[in-house]
Amino acid sequence: MDRTNLVEELRRIVGPRGVVDDPHALMTYDADGCVMDTGIPQVVVLPTSTAQVSGVVRLAARYGLPVVPRGAGTGLTGGATAMFGGIVISTARMDKVLEVDTRNGRVLCQPGVINFDLSQQLKPYGYQFAPDPSSQKACTVGGNIANNSGGPHCLKYGITASHVYGVELVLGDGTVLWSGDGSPAGPGYDLTGVIVGSEGTIGLVTAVWLKITRLPEAVRVVLALFPDIAGASTAVSQVIASGLLPSALEMMDRLVIKAVNDMYKLGLPDSAGAALLIEVDGVEDGLDDLLNDVTAMCWRNGAIDVRPARTLAEQNQVWAARKNAFGAMGRLSPTYYLVDTVVPRTRLPYTMEQVGRISREYDLPIANVFHAGDGNLHPIILFDRRAKGQNQRALEAATSVMHVSIEQGGVISGEHGIGVEKQEYMTLLFSTDDLAAMAGLHQSFDPQDVFNPGKIFPKGRGCGELAALRKAGVAWATLK
Amino acid sequence: MNPLSSQIASIVGTSYLIDDLADYPAYAVQGRIPILVVAPGSVEELAHVVAAAHAAGMAVIPRGGGTMQAWGRPPAGDFMIVQTTRLSRVRIYEPDDLTISVEAGMTMQDLDALLAVHGQMLPLDVPLPARSTIGGVLSTAMDGPRRLGYGTSRDLLIGVQVVEATGRSSKAGGMVVKNVSGFDMMKLYTGSLGSLAIIVSANFKLLPRPRAAATIACTFNTPADAFALVAAIHASQLTPVAVEYLQKDEGGRMKDEASMSAVISLIPHPSSFILCVRAEGLPAAVERHIRDVAEMAERAGSSRMSVLRDEDHMAVWAAINDLPQTFSVADDELLLRLGCLPSDLERALADASALASRQGIALAVAARALSGIAYLRVRGGDEGLRHQFHADLLARWPQLAILAGPPALMAEAPIWGASVPNLALMQRIKQEFDPDNRLNPGRYVV
Repeated sequence: MDRTNLVEELRRIVGPRGVVDDPHALMTYDADGCVMDTGIPQVVVLPTSTAQVSGVVRLAARYGLPVVPRGAGTGLTGGATAMFGGIVISTARMDKVLEVDTRNGRVLCQPGVINFDLSQQLKPYGYQFAPDPSSQKACTVGGNIANNSGGPHCLKYGITASHVYGVELVLGDGTVLWSGDGSPAGPGYDLTGVIVGSEGTIGLVTAVWLKITRLPEAVRVVLALFPDIAGASTAVSQVIASGLLPSALEMMDRLVIKAVNDMYKLGLPDSAGAALLIEVDGVEDGLDDLLNDVTAMCWRNGAIDVRPARTLAEQNQVWAARKNAFGAMGRLSPTYYLVDTVVPRTRLPYTMEQVGRISREYDLPIANVFHAGDGNLHPIILFDRRAKGQNQRALEAATSVMHVSIEQGGVISGEHGIGVEKQEYMTLLFSTDDLAAMAGLHQSFDPQDVFNPGKIFPKGRGCGELAALRKAGVAWATLK
Repeated sequence: MNPLSSQIASIVGTSYLIDDLADYPAYAVQGRIPILVVAPGSVEELAHVVAAAHAAGMAVIPRGGGTMQAWGRPPAGDFMIVQTTRLSRVRIYEPDDLTISVEAGMTMQDLDALLAVHGQMLPLDVPLPARSTIGGVLSTAMDGPRRLGYGTSRDLLIGVQVVEATGRSSKAGGMVVKNVSGFDMMKLYTGSLGSLAIIVSANFKLLPRPRAAATIACTFNTPADAFALVAAIHASQLTPVAVEYLQKDEGGRMKDEASMSAVISLIPHPSSFILCVRAEGLPAAVERHIRDVAEMAERAGSSRMSVLRDEDHMAVWAAINDLPQTFSVADDELLLRLGCLPSDLERALADASALASRQGIALAVAARALSGIAYLRVRGGDEGLRHQFHADLLARWPQLAILAGPPALMAEAPIWGASVPNLALMQRIKQEFDPDNRLNPGRYVV
C-alpha cells in the first residue's frame, strides 16, 4: 500500500485539516475507553459531510483497508479501536444540530453532536433527548446509536433504539441510504431498528432523525440510605409493584458512597451500606403523594435515612454524585475495570452476594453502582495495573461475574456493547445458529466486511464464515 | 395422503393435520386454498414441519388467529399453512421481574388476563384480542392507540425465538429489559410479515397496571377544531397515553360498521368528528388531565365533552382498537393505512375526505393523531371508484398501504405504498434468510 498516495487522496476529499497521519498523533487513537485492547490506524480522517464520508469509504475499498467509525472514543469495549489498522473515521467535526422540529417531536443532527449538548440545545424548546448515559457530557449521539446506549432514565423512557426515527447510513461501497424520517410505518424491514446497536459494523451513520421528549412538568428525587443492598432491593421491587414506574432507580454500595461522599461532601453516614436514588416525574398533580408513598416504602424496608430532594439544586447534587461515581473511583484505586451485565430484577440481591464472594476470592475490592430498576449491574473492579498479577486477576474476576450473571438468566452486556472486550463471551449466551442468524444480517449490509472488522463475533468464528456455513446448510450439531 | 402429508402427520399426529377439503375455505389466503393446514403442538414439531416442507419445496404461510391474513399480496404458488395457536404456553413468568416469555400462539386476551392477576400489563392494543396472537401482532407490527404513551411492539419486545425457512431454530435478546448482547434481531423479525422466519416465542418487558384511568371524549363540528385540540395537547406537558381522532362517515352509509357504531354508542352526543384522549397513572394526575383537556377542548371549539370511566372507558377503547380490524371486511370495502409526519395528518385526512365526498363513497377514520398514522375504511360506490380513490390518495400521500381489499386489487395495486425505499438492501436480507423464497412468498415487499 502506498501510504503517501492514500494520505494525499484523503486530503483531497476532506481538506488538509481533516487528515491525521502523524505517528505520534495516531497513537492517541489506539484505543477507546477500553485500554486493554489496542490497535493503531494507518490514518485518521475527520470529515464534515456525508459526501466526504462516502468518498473516504470508496477510497478505503479501493485500498482494501477497513473503516473504523469513531465518535468521542468513550466506549468501554474497544468498539472504536482499529484492531486491524485501516482508516478511522472520526465524526468529531460532524457536530451540527441541523433542524429542531418540535411539531413532529424530532431533531435532525449529525452523528458527532455530544449527547449532553443536544439536550442543552433542546431545553429552550421544552424538550430533551432522553437517553442519558453516564458519559453524556462527552459521548456522541452517533456512539449512542452504535451501542444502543442506555442511562439511568431509560427505565422509563427506553433505550436509544426507541429514540431513533431514521438514520443516514454510508454502506461499504460508498452508497448512502436513509432508513426513515419520523413518519411511521414505512414499508419493509425495520432497517433503523437493526442499524441501532450494530456497533459500527455494518455502515457509518452520517445524519440522524432523533425522537425528542417533552421535559416533564415536575420531578421529585429521593435519596434513601439502607444498611445493606438487600433492604434497598426489596424497596425497589415494592416501588415498581406499587403501580408507577419511576423515571430512575439507581443504587450505590458502601464503597461508592464513601468515594462520592469524599468528593461531593454529601455528608452521608458511614453506616450506610446502600444508597438508593429514586426519581419520579410527570405532571405536578399527585407527585408529592407518590413521593410520600415511596418514602414510606423505604422506611418500611429498614432505611436508616430518607432524604427527599425537592429543589432543583438538591436534585442536581444527588444526581451529580451518581453520574460522576465512576470519576470518584480514582479516590479508591489507580485503575478500575467496569463490568456491564444485566440480570432479571429479582436475581439482583443474589448476584450482588456473588459479586461480594468474587471480590473476596480474587482479593480485589469491587465497588457497585447500578441501575437497580433495570437489573443492570456495574461492578467496578478496583486494581493497580502496576502491581504484579493484578491485571490478570481483575480480568478473571470479571469473567467470574459474567458466569454468575448468565447462570442467573442474565446477559453479557446491558448498555456498553460487545466490541472486542466481550466477543469471546458471545458463545456463552448464543448458539452457533443464533450467531449465524446475526451474521446473515451483517452480511446483507456489509458483505465485504469493510466496517469495524473483528468485533462482536467470536474470534474463532468470523462473521463471513458463519454466514457461509449457514448458507451451505451445514448441520450445526456437528460444529458445536 | 401424499408423501408430504404423511410425513407431517407422523410429526404432529393426524388430528392436527387438517386434510378435509371442506374445512379449507376457512383457511384461504386472498381466495387461494392451501394444500395443507398443520397445527404443530410444540416449537420442535413446528421446526420439523417447516424442515419437511422445505425439503419438499413447499411454501409455508405462518398463521396465528388469522385476523390479519388479509394483509399482503396473494401467495405465489402452492402453499401450506402452519398454524401457531397450539403454541400457547407461558415459558417464564416471574412477576417481580416485570418480564414474561410466552409462545407465539397465545392470544393477546389470554396474555392480558394472566398479567391482570398480577397487576401488570403489556400495553399493546390490537384489534380482536380474543383471536389475535402474539406472533401475528409481532409479524405485522400492528400498532394501537396507546403507542403514544408506551411505544409499539418494537419497544417492548426484549427477546425472540424463531424457526427459519430451513427449519433451523435461533434466538436473540433475552429475559432482561436492557440488552445489547449481539444484533437486535427482534427488530428485524418485527413487522417482517413472516417473510424471514416464523416467530415461535417472544419475551416482553411489562408495566405495572396504572392506578387510575379515564377517557375524555370531545366532539367537534369540524376536523380543524379537533386538530386544534391535538396541537394544544402536543404543546402542553400533559402525558396522555392515547390521542385518537375518529371520523365517522357523514352520509351515514356505514351503518353496519359494528366497531364504529360501538364507539359512537358509548359517547354521549356524538358528532362526525371525535377526539378521544386516554389518561393513565396516578389518580390526581388523571384528574388533572381531565381538567386540562376539557379546558383546551373548549378553547378549540369542542361542541361537547364527556368523561368516561371504568367499564365505559374500557369498552370505548376496546371498540376503538377494533376499528382497523381486517378479519371481516365487506366485499365493497377497502382498509387503508396512511402514514405521514404527525404535522401533516390533518391535511392528509382532509384530502381523503374531499376525495371520498367527490366520488360519493363512504369513509371512516381512526387515527393516532400524534403519531401520524390513520386507518381508513372506504366503502360503497363501485369498484372502479374505490380503486380510483386509492390511486388519487396515493398520488398525494405515498405512504398509503392497502391492508385489506379484493384479491384482484391486492395482486395488482401498489399495496405497500408508492415506493419501497431501500428495496435492494431488503432483497439482500430476504436472500440471506430465505434464499428459496419459501416463507410467505410474494406477499410482502420482497
